[in-house]
Amino acid sequence: MNSYNNQRQESVDFLSVFLFIILIVLGFMAISSSTSDINWDHFQLSALATKQIFFLAGAFVIVLTILFSNVAVIDYFAYGFYGIALLLNILVVIIGHEVKGAKSWFGIGGFGLQPSEFAKVATALALAKFLGTYGVRFKGWKNIGISLAIFLIPLVVILMQDDTGSALVFLSFFLVLYREGLPGWVLLSALWMGLLSGFRVIGDFQGVSIYYGYGFLFGIASIVILFFRKNKAVIPLIITIAIASAAFYTVVGSAYHTILQRHQKSRIESVLGLKEDAQGIDFHVKQSKIAIGAGKLWGRGFMKGTQTKMGFVPEQHTDFIFDTLAEEWGFIGTTLFFILYVAFLLRLATLSERQTTIFGRVLGYSLVCILFFHFTINIGMTIGLMPVIGIPLPYISYGGSSLWAFTLFLFIFLRVDQVRK
Amino acid sequence: MENSGKRIVFKSLIVVIFVLYWIRLINLQLGEKDYESIAINNALNKITLYPSRSNLFDRHGKLIVYNTHIYDLSVFPFEIKELDTALLSKILELPGADLLHLLEDAKVKAVRRQKNNANNKSTTFYSNLSARQFAFLRENMFRLKGFFIESRTDRQFASKSAPHALGYLGEANETLLESDEYYQPGDLVGITGLERFYEKEFRGIKGIKTVWQNRKYEQKGEVKDSQFNYPSVAGPDATSTLDIEVQNYARQLLEGKKGSIVAIEPRTGEIIAFVNYPDYDPNTLVGRSRANTFKSLLTDPVKPLYNRAVKGVYPPGSTFKTVMAAIALQEGVLEPETTHGCGGGYRLGNIRVGCHPHGGPLDVRGSLQISCNSYYCQVFRDVIDNPKYANVKEGYAVLERHLRSFGLGSPLGIDLMGESRGNIPSVNQLNKRHGKSWKSSTVISLSIGQGEILLTPLQIANLAAIMANRGWYITPHLIRTIDGITDTAWQRKFKFKHYTSVNPMHFETVIEGMAGVTLPGGTANGTGIPGLEICAKTGTAQNPHGKDHSVYMAFAPKENPQIAIAVIVENGGYGATYAAPIANLLIEKYLNPGKETQKPDMEKRMLESKIQ
Ligand SMILES: [Zn+2]
Repeated sequence: MNSYNNQRQESVDFLSVFLFIILIVLGFMAISSSTSDINWDHFQLSALATKQIFFLAGAFVIVLTILFSNVAVIDYFAYGFYGIALLLNILVVIIGHEVKGAKSWFGIGGFGLQPSEFAKVATALALAKFLGTYGVRFKGWKNIGISLAIFLIPLVVILMQDDTGSALVFLSFFLVLYREGLPGWVLLSALWMGLLSGFRVIGDFQGVSIYYGYGFLFGIASIVILFFRKNKAVIPLIITIAIASAAFYTVVGSAYHTILQRHQKSRIESVLGLKEDAQGIDFHVKQSKIAIGAGKLWGRGFMKGTQTKMGFVPEQHTDFIFDTLAEEWGFIGTTLFFILYVAFLLRLATLSERQTTIFGRVLGYSLVCILFFHFTINIGMTIGLMPVIGIPLPYISYGGSSLWAFTLFLFIFLRVDQVRK
Repeated sequence: MENSGKRIVFKSLIVVIFVLYWIRLINLQLGEKDYESIAINNALNKITLYPSRSNLFDRHGKLIVYNTHIYDLSVFPFEIKELDTALLSKILELPGADLLHLLEDAKVKAVRRQKNNANNKSTTFYSNLSARQFAFLRENMFRLKGFFIESRTDRQFASKSAPHALGYLGEANETLLESDEYYQPGDLVGITGLERFYEKEFRGIKGIKTVWQNRKYEQKGEVKDSQFNYPSVAGPDATSTLDIEVQNYARQLLEGKKGSIVAIEPRTGEIIAFVNYPDYDPNTLVGRSRANTFKSLLTDPVKPLYNRAVKGVYPPGSTFKTVMAAIALQEGVLEPETTHGCGGGYRLGNIRVGCHPHGGPLDVRGSLQISCNSYYCQVFRDVIDNPKYANVKEGYAVLERHLRSFGLGSPLGIDLMGESRGNIPSVNQLNKRHGKSWKSSTVISLSIGQGEILLTPLQIANLAAIMANRGWYITPHLIRTIDGITDTAWQRKFKFKHYTSVNPMHFETVIEGMAGVTLPGGTANGTGIPGLEICAKTGTAQNPHGKDHSVYMAFAPKENPQIAIAVIVENGGYGATYAAPIANLLIEKYLNPGKETQKPDMEKRMLESKIQ
């Protein structure tokens, strides 16, 4: 199963590569536009767009390297990559330099390298390798424990870099585990607990009495019971869930206030959009919505998005790059972009499912889930449906680390897919 | 297979998020709210380009009002999260608390500005920077985020002698801001004088330069679209009717006394000189000192801001006899040769109007030259008790109509605001004052310009012009032309000849009398100027509050008159004491420009005299 000696000579998945190329071209256009001056007489690449060309060239080298490499080698070095990535991420906490509050960058001659981006692909490889090992199933405390440790360790390390957004990305692996046998109710419970925790923290922050929380929970429970009144067997279960939820709601609040340090709390609060940082989160979300809304149906035209070019939208070339697309290309543009991105995700999901090895499948789903997490959080943040968590939009946002790491990730998977038996 | 359902979960989840987000995009991008305008407003800043106001020249082309550049410190007030009070205190020499107040004021003003012009987000923080402040600020501008230096113009007066005619500027008040959206808080507008009357002409047209401006208030170049940009247009050059040499001289002669001087070119109605004293230095009502100066001027007991020439009302005294004579001649109750005697006064029952000792009997000419009160008591009675009319009230009403044709009893319509109408009592007014059964003897003091009759110095000067013109006048005015402005209502008004109800030939009789006033035997004998045929009339306006006012009206030369003038010196006593010498010296100055006066002693006496 782990032998790749008879590699099939099928070409790499054309549709994925095609969509990948379209996405990076769109991304480059958006970066050029959002970083150039409003008044220009003749087209001239901005400094950042020029840098991005360098990153694109690097990505091309990565693509070629992967396409001409032996998958066995990748498989063989999976744990090695993981180890190196972990080391780099720990090292960056010690010797890295700070960019916007996060200590997650190595400075190398004017360029910054963000090891947490590469941790995503390395973690996926390690998890795929572990779950793909002959005889290992996602069962038993030991295997479950190792699986969880593989992605929770980098999560904690990246949290130490004060890069909450990148750390949260690693929660995507829970979705991957779901595909590998993690029961759905566990995932739902976790999601439910996450929501409850969020509501409790928000409620406490805004001085809402805890009894409103109880009232809400039992109110919902009553409605659900009313709905299922024919099916008597469910009623005790619902009551149990309601009581457990209420208990959790109580405990999580006390835990939050007693266990966490002040700076940890303040980070959580800022992720939940409760704390205005120096730049003013409210202002940023508002400006982001204005930028998107300003695009209207047809958009304001390439290079004409004032919201994004003039600095009203924060991080207009990185985390808020979607605003440039939306402002300049309008609803037509955003709809097309959504279709492209979703088609890309769905295609990768299809590829993941057609894998003949657990290694390939875990790797594929890791890619899909991480991309999906990025897309959901990033776009959701720009349209005001998600808290402002600073993570880039893969293949679109400016930056070498993200582009290279996701290119690496994609093409390792496509290469694995290409040689599947 | 247990996982077959799970595949669907992944793809469904992706599609669900896609649809959810897509609906949100429909809402944002295709919704009602016009985010595009908000985005445009965000990124544009419309910078007001202030035009310079009209330069003002005198009738001979000498510059009398011009502009200087001033620099203001402006601010985007809502961008200042934390005011650098330490640095600003040092530069502007103001305590931190004051700076915070200024910032609050700026916020209020900025909100006002947004109302009128959605894209002008900045407003003045501190106006009229000194050279030191300007230099200091320019060096430190990079430290003061949200602040910038703006250039505007303010007024400078080449001559300090005409403050009441020219007026001053001040910041637009709330009423004006409400009524005219051209103005924005902090704009300078004409408050008084010509600056006020011709505000719309003088102010020019503000321009707008629209620039792209990013979040950090860095300008990213002009918006290349003509609809967003237009240059300011300076106020057109304007020529005043004033002769600044005469004006300055008039100001010198009046200094130290309370009063007014108005000189008019009779043929055109153009005002040659327009002086009040006490007055103020117009160059102190500009720039940073404006507010403080204004406050102290407003509370000054001598009322330096008071424009006596058009707001002050005085009994015309004996100057009124010229009008009485003309009307009586017109009414046919007086002939040039009619003589009346005078026994040192006029007696009728228990009424007595005194007269000074003089020979007699007198005809019209002599009565004016000598200013006989008795003569005019008789003339007045002849006019209103004329048997032609049913009763004294109808007779008086005829007199009143004649008087009003001389521009008395209502504002003349000079190009200044707040002109008083003076007072010509109506029959009703006299009824109220004296009861319904009054007779000519009851109101006899009107005959010599006392009682309820009140005129402004401008109206008296205009009477002199009417005499000079033999029966007509053009509304006196201070502006001759404004470049590029033609055929407006005010221009037509200042060309229109108002005829009095008195036939021109009767004025010749009056003028014969006026011509003798400065000659031996006349009331102003000794104040005349050799070689100049000055036709004049003295007056002494009774003043219940103190010494009588010295009044004098004149024109010269007798034929083809060039100048008509009225001088009032409060508490100056007889007309011949102050008003006549001052007026005659001014006539000389105007008719013999550039020459030394022939009456240096009289000039010296006038320049040096003061009346407390
Ligand atoms: Zn007499």
